[in-house]
Amino acid sequence: MIAPVSVCGLSKVFFDEGRGEVRAVNDISFECRPGEIFGLLGANGAGKTTTLRMLSTVLKPSAGTATIMGHEVSADPEGVRRNLGFSSATTALYPRLTGRETLEFFARINGYPGPQVRQRVETLIERFGIGEYAEARVEKLSQGMKQKVSIARTVVHDPPVLIFDEPTVGLDVLNAIEMQKVIAGLRAEGKTILFSTHIMSEAEKLCDRIAIIHRGTIHACDTLANLRAATGRHYLEDIFVHFVEGASPAKKE
Amino acid sequence: MKLRRSIVSTLFRAELRMVFRDRRMLFTSVVLPLLMMPLMFWGSTVSIKKRERALQTMTFHCAVTGSQAGAVRSLLDATQQRLKSQSKPEAKSDGLTFEEVACPDARTALEKGGIQFILQGLTADEARAEAKSDAAAQTNNPSGSGRAAPKVQTNDDGEDPMPGALVVRAVFRGDRDDSANGVSRMRNALMETRRLQRAELLKAHAFPVAISQVAEATSRDLASGRQVAGLALGRTITLALLIFLLMGGTVVATDSLAGEKERGTLETLLTTAANRLEVLVAKHLVILTVALLITLLQSVNLLLYVSLKLMHLPPNFAAALPPAIVALLFVLYLPVAALVSNILLLTSGYARSYKEAQLYFFPVFLLALIPGVVPFFPGIPLRSPIVLVPIANLGIAAKEILIGSFDWPMIALSWLVTAGASVWVLSIGVRGLSAEKLITATDQDAIVSVGGRPLFERHVLRWFAALWALLILVSNYMANADVRAQLLVNLVILFFGASCLMIRRYRLDPRAVLGLRAPKPAVWLAVLCGVPGGLLTTLGLFQVANHFLPVSPEMMEQFNKAVLPQNVPQLQLLFFLTVMPGVFEEIAFRGVLLYGLRRRFHPVAVALLVGALFGIFHVALFRFVPTAFLGILLAAVRMLSGSIFPCMLWHCLSNGLSILAESRGMPETDLGPVCYLIGVALLAVSFWILWRNRRPESAGPGGHDA
Repeated sequence: MIAPVSVCGLSKVFFDEGRGEVRAVNDISFECRPGEIFGLLGANGAGKTTTLRMLSTVLKPSAGTATIMGHEVSADPEGVRRNLGFSSATTALYPRLTGRETLEFFARINGYPGPQVRQRVETLIERFGIGEYAEARVEKLSQGMKQKVSIARTVVHDPPVLIFDEPTVGLDVLNAIEMQKVIAGLRAEGKTILFSTHIMSEAEKLCDRIAIIHRGTIHACDTLANLRAATGRHYLEDIFVHFVEGASPAKKE
Repeated sequence: MKLRRSIVSTLFRAELRMVFRDRRMLFTSVVLPLLMMPLMFWGSTVSIKKRERALQTMTFHCAVTGSQAGAVRSLLDATQQRLKSQSKPEAKSDGLTFEEVACPDARTALEKGGIQFILQGLTADEARAEAKSDAAAQTNNPSGSGRAAPKVQTNDDGEDPMPGALVVRAVFRGDRDDSANGVSRMRNALMETRRLQRAELLKAHAFPVAISQVAEATSRDLASGRQVAGLALGRTITLALLIFLLMGGTVVATDSLAGEKERGTLETLLTTAANRLEVLVAKHLVILTVALLITLLQSVNLLLYVSLKLMHLPPNFAAALPPAIVALLFVLYLPVAALVSNILLLTSGYARSYKEAQLYFFPVFLLALIPGVVPFFPGIPLRSPIVLVPIANLGIAAKEILIGSFDWPMIALSWLVTAGASVWVLSIGVRGLSAEKLITATDQDAIVSVGGRPLFERHVLRWFAALWALLILVSNYMANADVRAQLLVNLVILFFGASCLMIRRYRLDPRAVLGLRAPKPAVWLAVLCGVPGGLLTTLGLFQVANHFLPVSPEMMEQFNKAVLPQNVPQLQLLFFLTVMPGVFEEIAFRGVLLYGLRRRFHPVAVALLVGALFGIFHVALFRFVPTAFLGILLAAVRMLSGSIFPCMLWHCLSNGLSILAESRGMPETDLGPVCYLIGVALLAVSFWILWRNRRPESAGPGGHDA
């Protein structure tokens, strides 16, 4: 069976003014299994967002390959995007569209069958509880409301793979918990979820498997239980520090 | 990349909806121009009319001076009586009323505005003497700076008056419209009085017929009123349309890509199933639609003002624009609108933020208007190289259509050229949307820049733009200074100083920047061969350029006088004009500038860019082609030889040879095709030697090697 997300030797090199070549992502490999939440755990600047951007075809990999539902990101970017729902760290919604218009727009643009678009939008409005403000322009909504619309927008075309880049950033505790429930619910529907975060508790709570990424390199990738067993530490925070501090200088570069 | 109609349509509708919900856009792009443009036209019309009325009813005050003041007063009295005697008000020599004012110092009164003009009554000898002193004053003050020398005017025939004749000389201020208008009307009135007096005199001496019956010169205009109006309209319509399109499209374009980047929605959009071409095409269509809509609104708005008689159109305007012509012009201008929209979209895509886009739009606005000015120039037919210049070609085509000339093959070619340019700009935009640094600009900006060559490469063009602005300022300030002082300031302080500053600021390696290394010995032979070849070829190119931008011999002579002044010893002049430019210009252009560009562009593009900038730095338009060509040659020499020293020698010798030719009075123009061909051959030999002995420097990582 093909893994929904497969990453092999993926690298990304930027040319930075002043610093020259910067290896944002350095030869990483992992696979996401069907119906699991796979977490990319790392500090700011670890290479999480760059990895997710390569998987969503916004950035081109410098080396290596990655496939989403069997479509290679460089060779078949449109195939990748058809099978993918991507939610960036910012809610990134069009401020002058209403919630309903936003969902309809993203359903149509992602090729969801035309006659079923309205029905699908209604379903999502009901499911995410955004009916009260579905006709209000996004610019008038609170951050929590926007986040719900953003998640609904990500899944509107019913993609098998979902990518969430730090989805709880900027949310208060209640909204963050709500968001975690939504993500867990999507897993229950059988979606494969790739999820980046720097919040340990969130990763602990949600992820079936966790990859610890630091300075563009994956230092560990396993279930939480196996990571505990491998390090002899209980808390993910300690496990994270163990791998990051234990990384050799060569690896750090 | 495929283009799916359903995706483009979805994107287009959503974008358009967002545009029309943006109150800021509606106000700045629709409401403001709707009010401003006609109000501006109306305001200027009202102001002009008011001024005309004021001048029409004004009583002009004049002083009468000179040895023949009595004769002038007689003439004025006769004129006054003649004007009063005219019964019909409209026949009253356009209602001129004037009176003489007695003032002890007429010149001061004129300067202070107490009178509008002075009428000097002179004898022919006095007039000649004054004309000579005025001419001398003009020669001593040619630049017009400071207090202007009085203008010297001769009589209508350009001939000296006969001895004993009365010369009436009007002294006025051309910079004041009351003075200029008054003197013009007074002159006509006096001439008419003199004409009538002459006729009376002839009649009194039994001349059988009136002078006008002896001979008459008439003219007949074969152009119809419609064609005349069409010419006026054809000159302005392209520029007006460009202004409307740019005003209409700018705000939407800024929001379209730069705004999306700032909001982060572009990244979201690029992760959907829509491909980049579809995104760009939809955005282009939105800008095009809004720009066309606003143009249409503006046109309707102007017509409304015309129908309300708040504005007046030229006569026969309606006749010049029958419905069929309007439809043809609409089709004709569609590629113009598309190209403008794509340029705006490209600018927005290139900017990393809304603010940056706003910075770019002003120069883009000015540059985009340039082709709209071409129809104003007389004597440019569509069946000429202009047919290959986008926008300008359709401007000329529209002008020809409006005067009734339909060159269909050329019209079709113009349309295709501009449409092709539009598609090309769109394709650049699509590539731009694949440029990661433009999509994820915010992240890139977050990376701390610590200087060095990469940062210098990004800033080098800004440095040279600032240097150019400084050069213009300094050149204007020192326009009358000694040529040696000018060269010292320009070459040493500006060029060399800025080069040192850039090297220091970005911590660059001077040896690498300037190419301080010995070339292969054969390169010197190439230089010796290339200098005369380059010079002859440059002269040939100058002749070609002269066909398009003619330079008068007077201008050339004036330029040579300024650059090669007689009061500077020949050796000094040679040093200042050969050695100094050869060293300091090479350091700045083939050293620092070329180093900053060579990793970013293909070597051919680097040579062209360095040459073009070198030409632009020589300020005068007529010097652009020769200096740019020399700049291209020298850039190529630097890249092939890997050293700046051959460039310095080439530059020195080239300048020296030019000065020598000039000082020996050798003809620099029209040498004949054989000479130019010899030049090209020598140049070819020189570059063949350079190519065979090339020793290029490494451009560095990511760069293009020569």
